[in-house]
Amino acid sequence: MTDTTWTERYLAAVLRSIPESRRGDVERELRSSIEDGIEERVANGEDRVAAERAVLEGLGDPGRLAAAYTGRPNYLIGPALFPVYSHIIPRLIAISAPIVLIAVSALKIIAGTEYLGALAAGTSATIGVVIQLAFWGTLFFVFLERADAARETREQIASAVGTWTVDRLPEPSNKRVSVSETVGEVLTVLITAGGLLFVRSLEVNTPTGRIPLLDPSLLDVFVPYLAGVLVVLGAVHLLVYVVGHWTYPLATVHGILAIAWGAPIAYVALQGQLVNPAFASAIGWPGLAAGDQPAMLAIAVGVTLVTAWEVFDAFRRARGASLAGFASAILSRGA
Amino acid sequence: MDKDELLGSHREELRRGTVVLACLLALREPGYGYGLLKTLDAAGIPVDGNTVYPLLRRLEERGLLQSEWNTDESRPRKFYRTTPAGQELAAQLLAVVEDLTRSLQTLDGGIR
Repeated sequence: MTDTTWTERYLAAVLRSIPESRRGDVERELRSSIEDGIEERVANGEDRVAAERAVLEGLGDPGRLAAAYTGRPNYLIGPALFPVYSHIIPRLIAISAPIVLIAVSALKIIAGTEYLGALAAGTSATIGVVIQLAFWGTLFFVFLERADAARETREQIASAVGTWTVDRLPEPSNKRVSVSETVGEVLTVLITAGGLLFVRSLEVNTPTGRIPLLDPSLLDVFVPYLAGVLVVLGAVHLLVYVVGHWTYPLATVHGILAIAWGAPIAYVALQGQLVNPAFASAIGWPGLAAGDQPAMLAIAVGVTLVTAWEVFDAFRRARGASLAGFASAILSRGA
Repeated sequence: MDKDELLGSHREELRRGTVVLACLLALREPGYGYGLLKTLDAAGIPVDGNTVYPLLRRLEERGLLQSEWNTDESRPRKFYRTTPAGQELAAQLLAVVEDLTRSLQTLDGGIR
């Protein structure tokens, strides 16, 4: 099997960053060139698997080949450093952004800012840090690329990363979404819907009658709206199964739905409109109905994190496992 | 960097500038990607596929080459042929290379 998958995976990796309109022709030509190369090596007595490997490695990093096809220069950061750069900077941002968000928001809260304001301050600080990291990180690599003083470092990095081999090919992306994955996703949606109905039905018995947990103003529009979003979310997961894999349009719709579900909940919680004030006083915790409660902040942060993950996850899957493949290749080389 | 590496990297740099010219000259006879690699190699101009394959497309986009799929044989191949515009450019570039060689020889003679 390996003899076909390497070429297929190589072609997929090249074509991914080539405009759709030119893909078919480039694929056809590149495929026939690769086969020409393999054929000649096999005719010279080479083993077919070894021949395929040699031909693909002769063509080199598929990302760079694609860049040559599209004429897109990736030369602010040169070819030796670019893979390292594009590997490190996004990770650096992914790690620091949540830390800054949480730290700055927490400090603001300790300093006495109300939760919504603290979250806004944290968000704007995070945006600032992301921009700074991207800018200075890029500048650092540009320096490393160009400065004579950094030549030794550059060569060390280049030799540590090494030359490209087929082992670094990303796993075949757009893997078919399995039945069990889809069932899992739809079950999650159903359980969430069940949880929603459960929370809606929670009430406390008092001498004056039953008092619902949720603020009465939410029951008519807000809760049915959330349920509606869930139904559409479930439908999107079924659609993903029918299509076979995540695509960018599907991930976008999914992301909009996830935000349409999470953002209102976080907002309502922080505004203190989630819990029925009568319920809060009935259970002897009047503060629960106010927005500036750790419980409400926890709900808002929790919902925000889950939503962010949902959005990220769908795009990650639409993109395929390219970064993961590269990371594991680097790790396995280092080991 | 040892001597061989030094020679290698500078030779690459010199050759890089002549690949376009070599392709335009070679493809006055129609040829396909891998075949062209062999032709250039045999002519003493070894070039990598990852240089030539994208280059052919760029030259075609600029109207210096024209292409046609040949599906008569078992493997479909895209054949390129130098256009009149491409031939004109090739002649001009060839003159530049010859001038350069002469200038370098003059320099070389002057120093000795």
